[in-house]
Amino acid sequence: MADQLPIANKVRELRESNALMTQSELGKAIGVTRQTVAAIEQRRYSPTLETAFRIARVFGVGIEDVFVWDEPCLSEPDR
Amino acid sequence: MAFQEKSAWIMSISLLASGIFYFTTVISMSGSGQLVPPNVPVLIVYTVILTVIVVIGHIVIALSALSEANAKLDERERRIFDRAGHLSGNVFGVGIIASLLLFLLTRNGDLLFYTAFGSLILGQLLEYLMQIFFYRASAV
Repeated sequence: MADQLPIANKVRELRESNALMTQSELGKAIGVTRQTVAAIEQRRYSPTLETAFRIARVFGVGIEDVFVWDEPCLSEPDR
Repeated sequence: MAFQEKSAWIMSISLLASGIFYFTTVISMSGSGQLVPPNVPVLIVYTVILTVIVVIGHIVIALSALSEANAKLDERERRIFDRAGHLSGNVFGVGIIASLLLFLLTRNGDLLFYTAFGSLILGQLLEYLMQIFFYRASAV
């Protein structure tokens, strides 16, 4: 399985709660391909800041409601 | 599957098929321990095979998804292309340096041509294979 990137997201949940918007429809709305939306949902790709804001705007929420930092505890820096 | 990934598959298959044709032909034309000089007709046949597979393959995938074929690369695809191209460039560079060193040792211009040409094919093939890898398996 592919490595997951440290930024988690709720894109799938938001998409499904918005009248079951498809990956293609979301992709068209934010200017990326369906495959890129799928990669974002699977945490295989972290979008640019601009695209992250576009996603948040599509769903009418703040960017922090879509994306959160989710680094595993083991890789946290020593205090 | 994204249009660009399909395109990378076509390029990989065509480069592999035409490359195998070219080098098996060169080997079969070469005598015992004697490398045949670079041959223009063989190079023309190689180019024709490569072009025909690439053109027909791209027509087929473009007809199956016209809108995708006309779309620009998105941000993830640009990153995939950059990373694959970077790796490919490194392999090509190492191949060319190795070819030049080999030439300094052997003074064989024919061998220089074949190793440089092989490096070019290998670098390009690796670029398309890495694109497929980044599209399918890896986080970018």
